[in-house]
Amino acid sequence: MQNTTTTFDPIALSILWSRLISIVDEAGTTLQRTSFSTVTRESNDFAVVLMDKKGRSIAQSSVSVPSFLGVLPILTKALLKDYFPEDTWKEGDVVMTNDPWLCAGHKPDIGIVSPIFHQGALIGFIGTIAHSPDMGGVLWGAGSRDLYEEGLMVPPTKLISEGKPNETLFNILKSNVRAADQTVGDIRAQIAANDQGIRSLMKLMEENNLTDLQDLADAVINASEKAMREALLAAPDGTYEYAYDTDGDGKGNGCHFEIAITIKGDEIIADYTGTSGAHPLSINAVLNYTFAYTAYPIKCTFSPDVPNNDGSFYPITVTAPKGCLVNAQKPSPLGARNITGNMLHSVVFGALAKAVPKQVQADCGSACWCIVLNGEHKGKEFVEYFFLNGGYGARPNMDGEHVLSFPTNVANVPIEVLETDIAVRVTEKSLVANSAGEGKYRGGLGQRFSFINVGEKSLNISLLTEKIRTPAKGILEGKDGQMGSIKIIPERDFPPKGLDKLHPGEELILTLPGGAGYGNPAERAETAIAEDKILGYIS
Amino acid sequence: MKLGIDIGGTFTDFVLFDDDSNQLYFAKTLTTYPDPTKGIFNGIKELEDKFGFPVKNLDGIVHGTTLVTNAVIERKGAKTALITTKGFEDVLEIGREMRYDIYDIFLTMPKPLIPRNLRMGISERVDIQGNVVTALDQNAMQTLADTLTQNGIEAVGVCLLNSFANTKHEEAIGNFLSQNLPEVYFSLSSEIMPEIREYERSSATAMNAYVQPITDKYLKDFETQLGAAGFKGSINIMISSGRLTTIDGARKSPIHLLESGPAGGAMAGVFYGKHLKEENLLCFDMGGTTAKACIIYEGKPEITNHFEAGRVKRFKKGSGLPVRIPVIDLIEIGAGGGSIARVNNIGLLTVGPDSASSTPGPACYNLGGEDPTVTDADLVLGYLNADYFLGGEMKLSVEAARKAIENKLAKPMGITIEEAAMGVHRIVNENMANAARVHVLEKGMDPRHFNMVGFGGAGPVHSFGVARLLNTKRLIIPVGAGVTSAIGFLVSPVASEKIHSHISELKTLDWAEVNRFLAAMEADGFEFLDKSGIDKRDASIQRVVEMRYHGQGHEITINLPNGELSENDVAEIQKRFIKEYEFRYNRSIEGMLMEMVTWRVVVEGPTPEMKVKQFSTKASEQESYKGTRKVYFEQTGYIDCPVYNRYGLKANEKFDGPAIIEETESTTVIGVNTTIQVDNNKNILIDLHQ
Repeated sequence: MQNTTTTFDPIALSILWSRLISIVDEAGTTLQRTSFSTVTRESNDFAVVLMDKKGRSIAQSSVSVPSFLGVLPILTKALLKDYFPEDTWKEGDVVMTNDPWLCAGHKPDIGIVSPIFHQGALIGFIGTIAHSPDMGGVLWGAGSRDLYEEGLMVPPTKLISEGKPNETLFNILKSNVRAADQTVGDIRAQIAANDQGIRSLMKLMEENNLTDLQDLADAVINASEKAMREALLAAPDGTYEYAYDTDGDGKGNGCHFEIAITIKGDEIIADYTGTSGAHPLSINAVLNYTFAYTAYPIKCTFSPDVPNNDGSFYPITVTAPKGCLVNAQKPSPLGARNITGNMLHSVVFGALAKAVPKQVQADCGSACWCIVLNGEHKGKEFVEYFFLNGGYGARPNMDGEHVLSFPTNVANVPIEVLETDIAVRVTEKSLVANSAGEGKYRGGLGQRFSFINVGEKSLNISLLTEKIRTPAKGILEGKDGQMGSIKIIPERDFPPKGLDKLHPGEELILTLPGGAGYGNPAERAETAIAEDKILGYIS
Repeated sequence: MKLGIDIGGTFTDFVLFDDDSNQLYFAKTLTTYPDPTKGIFNGIKELEDKFGFPVKNLDGIVHGTTLVTNAVIERKGAKTALITTKGFEDVLEIGREMRYDIYDIFLTMPKPLIPRNLRMGISERVDIQGNVVTALDQNAMQTLADTLTQNGIEAVGVCLLNSFANTKHEEAIGNFLSQNLPEVYFSLSSEIMPEIREYERSSATAMNAYVQPITDKYLKDFETQLGAAGFKGSINIMISSGRLTTIDGARKSPIHLLESGPAGGAMAGVFYGKHLKEENLLCFDMGGTTAKACIIYEGKPEITNHFEAGRVKRFKKGSGLPVRIPVIDLIEIGAGGGSIARVNNIGLLTVGPDSASSTPGPACYNLGGEDPTVTDADLVLGYLNADYFLGGEMKLSVEAARKAIENKLAKPMGITIEEAAMGVHRIVNENMANAARVHVLEKGMDPRHFNMVGFGGAGPVHSFGVARLLNTKRLIIPVGAGVTSAIGFLVSPVASEKIHSHISELKTLDWAEVNRFLAAMEADGFEFLDKSGIDKRDASIQRVVEMRYHGQGHEITINLPNGELSENDVAEIQKRFIKEYEFRYNRSIEGMLMEMVTWRVVVEGPTPEMKVKQFSTKASEQESYKGTRKVYFEQTGYIDCPVYNRYGLKANEKFDGPAIIEETESTTVIGVNTTIQVDNNKNILIDLHQ
């Protein structure tokens, strides 16, 4: 068993590969259906990855958050190397951590990794990351001043040992977080998802007489690696540079990104030298996270059709100076690092447009805006998340879609669900005419979303916005998208990123940025302009 | 005497049941465009000419059609407007903001059925408890009506925020429209889908309005022409839940017709199951472009409320328009006879989801198709008879099939033509078995506990392979496998489906209120059945509630106890919820509050009995054994396989596999280590030995 290698013909491999993917998708469905927070159940802010016993990803849930997919194998490899070597895992163990440097870059993202045993031997791992509704500290967002204000940090710890729950850790969690029912409920949903995945994998192994996963893992990883390398080989060699600016705090202290992407043969290197230093707001990204959100647009550009796994990442190297915005070190605050991670595709596509212009898209009206509300509703404390997306960037052959999540992939929370959960009333949700960047193909429109606190008490609010000072950048002569804006009525100052209160009767009006254009607007078809006018996308 | 008529994309199928002789008669005609009623009357004439059954002798007709589905896919509905709460006109276009494919930056989202310039807001607002916060702007209604007229609007959808909690504003708009624009059709979201989640509700409402005028016109024509031909019986329409509605019901909620054909197939599965005393069945239906599977559990099909119509990327979940109506829970994958096989960019063999359709069709049709398809592979393997495709009406070219497989598959993979063909056959079977397995497991069941029934043009060719993969013990290939949906139409009950949204924690439910609305829903149901001539005493009531743990977003369906409900039922309901939750997710959560969300009441008439004595076939006395031919099986390679003529099989005949059984519409392929039996109705029962 140890010494023989099973090879898979193209037919058998095709069959087994699709089954692996359906196993993780099934686990994802379980997670979504048994979770409590709107982040997970409505917005899909989670991912499931199946890994081999070396922590290499083999298959991942299909419609998930790209950063989590990239991070899970890195986390599992680190667990094996520094915390729980291969021979220390027992059947029925579950390890939890939210250490930002090991996991997904900020404390609310909880990684749950379970070992998979077959006939008494460790054969692999299944892991989930989900954005938990709360981890204590200040309300999640950009408002924390250092790492310690961002709540509880759980280093890699066995949450369950051989089937026995670590009650101490569960109790620590319960006593540190707001709305503990939701947070702990979601962690249990993650465990349930892992268990579901393990059960399905056992069935697959049984039916196919597999004794371990190694040969299958090698086969799929090699295939994905090969596809990525071949696509890179077809792209012109060279170094492609791009610079990009973002809001930072939205009040004048912005962020600057620089990238140099080198394509050499079948390898690609992205270097962020020149990018601004750590930001005082908690929008700093750790290198794991930077890697995930740099590799993601590279994968979209070069190998979108082949299922993703560890092999897709091997030809990709990402470097950034230690301590800079995209390689944050302790104790830089990291809470809202998604704002930074969500901008990296803009930087990567900007550079790649010079190498493979037909394989990239123009800048999107991202990052996704996040709103977290905390207070009491019907006598119960709640933490309610919701997300809003801007316009999608134009493509080389078509317009951008209106209001679509990119590069993350989170759904909105339905208005009626929001109004059921908490005492707010939404007053508008509409497309913003004229907000798209012009071009041969235009960007997608942004949206306006407004709501009033109709409760009797003030709500704690954490707001994360982007592109209210810097636009989505057009490419290849395409125009920039319109910037977003924030307004509160009655009017007063409101932090674009950070914590405040929304008092009873106050209305917050959020206008999200449009996507950027692709190509020269003079080349846009007359019929397309006429149609945009009829539909009121432009006036 | 009852007639089932199923209009499909290519063929219109007819099944006639004569309850004097207990005989079934089949016919098939080409679907006619743009007026499908022509095809119907062609078929009716064929039935009369061939078997001597004039339309005036029919007691009833049950009809299903792809009309609604096609209108949505091809965007051929009416000019439709949507009225929303002011400020929320774009909810229909914004959707849920999520991508259905994370690596495809070139993806497109489905365009809304109602464009932005035809979506109009009106000042009004109801809160989540149903309190009116802003009164409906009565003055704006006239202006709105003028705009509708100026734009030549034929149908209007109305979807206001929180209207499931208070229907008054939508009803007021409906009343205004019916008084002032009587010729315009309208659909209210509080009637079409009274459930929380504004996007999904708008989507269903918009779609209903969009297809209402064409459905109405079609059904009117259908009814009138049948009347003119002398038909005096009742007409029922098949809906997606496997039940029947009336012409009026179908006109009011045409979106319920979306899956009428597939629902008919599933109900035929229920019928076969009852007939063959198989309580748990997996129905496998494979045609030219897709394959479908559904579960019959304890004699009933599973029903879901999640469905998507008009997907922009075929078979990709999330790429369509959501419609939350009761639909028989089917999985559908892009694998049919016409599905194209190719070697992808990393050297793996894949099949579908794109199809060679009827032109140019598979390479073996010799109509210019160069891509190898599933049919080509089946021909090379000897499963299909080149001289007896569609009963010999169409000649197939083995040479063309071999050439396509050799050039596009075998050479690039460095394997033999037969190995490549077997690969295509296996992958299709695997894809289907995989999807079916996930579908069964998701419901907490074990695929091995299900026997299988296979039908559709390509179903009998592939069922055996799928059954082997699922470790199925018995496979049934019923008679009439080519017209199954229409058979299902004849054995489905007339029913009324009512939905009510009332969100409340179980412990603090107002039971008097619950009893009040449940009783009202039941009374509505009885009234509906009464109009179809069904007596209250023959009706049955199914009451379910969708429940979840407080704070979750996904509900599971629980059967409610019978009779008046009270606090005394709380313990039982809790027990049922926990049982179902544990069944699905292998755990329950102690001490967590439970919440009721959506209440559904189905009042159902009796399921029509169809005691079939003997199935009629075109040919009379024929030999069953036709000789042998070379057939390729995975374990054996080419062998001389016995070939049988299905029409010549004798009741209770029994023989061992392997075998090929040919009939006009399909071919049944049976591998080794099997025993084949023919029952009194010429159903083929295949026992798969382990």
